[in-house]
Amino acid sequence: MLADRLNKDDKFDEMLGRALRSSSEPVPTDFTERMLGRIRRAEEQKILAHVVLQERLALAGCIVFGAAAIVAVAAFPGAIAAVFQSIAGSFAERGGALVDRIPQTIEAVRGQWQLYTVLAAMAGFAVYSLVDLLAGDRLRTA
Amino acid sequence: MLVHKVWDQQKEDNWLRLLRSGDHGAFARFIDKYKETVFLCCRRLGLREDEVEDVASETFLAAYNGISRYSGRAELSTWLWSIAYRQAVSYLRKNRRQWRLEAEADESRQVGSDKEQEPAAAIQGKETEKIVWEAVERLPRLWAMAIILYYREEKSIIDIAKIMQAKENTIKTYLFRARQRLKKALTPAFGEDIDVGG
Repeated sequence: MLADRLNKDDKFDEMLGRALRSSSEPVPTDFTERMLGRIRRAEEQKILAHVVLQERLALAGCIVFGAAAIVAVAAFPGAIAAVFQSIAGSFAERGGALVDRIPQTIEAVRGQWQLYTVLAAMAGFAVYSLVDLLAGDRLRTA
Repeated sequence: MLVHKVWDQQKEDNWLRLLRSGDHGAFARFIDKYKETVFLCCRRLGLREDEVEDVASETFLAAYNGISRYSGRAELSTWLWSIAYRQAVSYLRKNRRQWRLEAEADESRQVGSDKEQEPAAAIQGKETEKIVWEAVERLPRLWAMAIILYYREEKSIIDIAKIMQAKENTIKTYLFRARQRLKKALTPAFGEDIDVGG
């Protein structure tokens, strides 16, 4: 085997190792400082890119929700109006008797669950977007 | 003695933990400890002086980004050597299409070239270290790298194979041939004082 013929104990190998180890490699004196500066800048850019992405997502959420709400109103005007009227009516006219209306509301929701699911998802996304837009940075750095 | 050893190990573990957590102070120590190694790797692979610092910076940046994934199975220096080697080779392949070809052509160079065998008179008076380095510089780059890793860094054949992404037998061949060539080149300077064995 070739490796068997490499013997670190013989004089030549010893001299070779000693000579190679005793040298030092020139390095710019301020390399460490410059390197740390570069790492700090890279980290700042990473955080900035993350924040920008979050902001864009939040903005996109608001736009999507707004557009979806307009489309929903245009596509299902009756249903939307009925929902709002039902809620407003319940609050204004029935007051404390709202609890009694819950089964009916559930029935109404059950009848059009697809619409309510979409609305709930959009509302959730909008709330997330708004919270992130207004307090995202503070939450992230806390 | 044992207490000192345990204390040193604890300090080392603590430093590694700080490194993995992204502590800048610990990373500054890491750079200070290994910057010469990285510059050496870049220079010996044939990067120009203006390219060496860029590739060394990229190496440390890659190390900083990857240190949290460092498992500790390999030595820290072996892990960094692997990164430096990959960075330098990838830079050379990207920027110099002929690099691989040059490295291979290098290997076919004959020992008997003018540069290879300096007259003994020219060698006399130089320091041993300088003479040895000059001889290593004249080796094909991959052979020189294997020699440096084996003799200077005292890495095992397995570690060198990992660093240079080559088979162990290839590394053994590099070392054997490089050693033979060095022996031939250095004999005029050191005469029969060197027992060259194999």
